[in-house]
Amino acid sequence: MKRWLQSPWLTIRVQLALGVFFVAAALPKIVDPPSFAHMVYNYRIMPGGVINLMALVMPWIELLCGLALILGIWTAAARSIIAAMLLTFIAAISINLVRGNAIDCGCFDPNPRPKSRAERLDDMRFVIYRDVGMLAMVAQLWYAGRRRDEVVGDGL
Amino acid sequence: MNAKRFLLEAAALIAAAVLCALVSNTLAARERKLALVGYYPSAQKAPVQTAPPVVQPVAAAVPAAGTAASPPPPTATETVAVRPAKTPAATVTAPAPAPAPPKKPDLARFAVHPDKPYVEIAYNDVKALHDASVLFLDARRTSIYEQGHIAGARPFSVWESDIDDKVRKLYDERPDEKQQGQAIVVYCSGGECEDSHMLAQKLWGIQFNNVYVYKDGYPDWVAHKGDTHTGSNP
Repeated sequence: MKRWLQSPWLTIRVQLALGVFFVAAALPKIVDPPSFAHMVYNYRIMPGGVINLMALVMPWIELLCGLALILGIWTAAARSIIAAMLLTFIAAISINLVRGNAIDCGCFDPNPRPKSRAERLDDMRFVIYRDVGMLAMVAQLWYAGRRRDEVVGDGL
Repeated sequence: MNAKRFLLEAAALIAAAVLCALVSNTLAARERKLALVGYYPSAQKAPVQTAPPVVQPVAAAVPAAGTAASPPPPTATETVAVRPAKTPAATVTAPAPAPAPPKKPDLARFAVHPDKPYVEIAYNDVKALHDASVLFLDARRTSIYEQGHIAGARPFSVWESDIDDKVRKLYDERPDEKQQGQAIVVYCSGGECEDSHMLAQKLWGIQFNNVYVYKDGYPDWVAHKGDTHTGSNP
C-alpha cells in the first residue's frame, strides 16, 4: 500500500487529474467575473469590499496552480495553495450548511440553472465530499513527494 | 524541499494570479468588468430562508369594478413595512359626478419614504406604476436583460462595473428633490434574488427616496403577461 501510494504511476495521474480539475473550474469564472462575484457574495462570509477582488483573483490562482500541476512546475507550492483553497471551500460551505443558507457553490459554473432549496443543500453536501476527495488527492501528492523531494516536475 | 524556495514559488504563483486578474479585468468588456472594490452593505448577513412566493393568478390581479375608486396602498411583504399613504385633501373633497374620463393611475399612494431604502410591492402595484410610465430599472445582468425585460426598463445590473456611473447619470437626470421623489421600480429575477434590493440601497444612498422593489420580479411579470421587450434598448 505504502509503495503503491508513492508510485510515480499513481502520482502523475493524480497530479494531472487535480490540475485538469482546477483549470476546468477556473475558466468559466475567468470568463464571467461578475457572476462569480455574485456567487462569492451569496456565501455571506466575505466583507463587501473584498468580494470583487476575490472574484477576480481566485480563479486565476486556480488556473495557474492547475497549470503548474499539469506542467509539473512548482508542484509543491501549487498543491499547497490548492490544499489551502480546498480547506477554505469546505469551511465556507459547511458554515452555510449550518446556517441553512442554501447556495450554489459556484465551483464550476457561475451561472447555474435555478434549483430548489433542497437540491442546493444536497449539492452543498456533495461538494464537501468532493472537496474532501480532492484533499485526499493532495495528500497523496504530498506523501509521494515527501520521500523524494519531487517525483514529478521539479524533481525530474 | 527548501522552505525559502517553496515560499517564493507560492508567492510568485499568487502574484502572477493577481497580475493576470488585473490585466484581464482592464481588458474585459463592460458587462464582464468588475469594480475592484465592491459595495455590498449586507455581504455578511445570512438571508432568512423563506418558502418560494406563490404567483398570483392573472384573474386576481384585475381589481373589481367597485374597488377601483379607492386603490389600496402598496402591498408590503413581511420584510419591509409600508408607511401608510397620505391621501391628498383634494381627492377627499372632490366627488366629481361628471362622465368618467380616461382612467389615470393614482400615484398618490406611492409617497416618498425617506426613512427606508425601498418598499417591496407586488404585481398590482407594479402594473399601476408601469401604466403611469414610472421609471423601471432591471437589476439583472445585461445579458439576461437583453433576453427579455419589462417594457421600458433600463439595464442597471448591480454586478457590472458601470453601475455607479449609471446611478450617477440617473442622479444627473433628476437633480432636484422633487424629481428624486418620483417613484422608481427596480426588479430582478424574484425568489431569492437580491440584486433589486442592492440596487435600491444604492439609489437610496444618493437621495432617491421613492424606490419600490418588485419582489417577485420578472418571472412574475411574465406570468401575468405584462408588456415585455427584448434586446439592448428599453
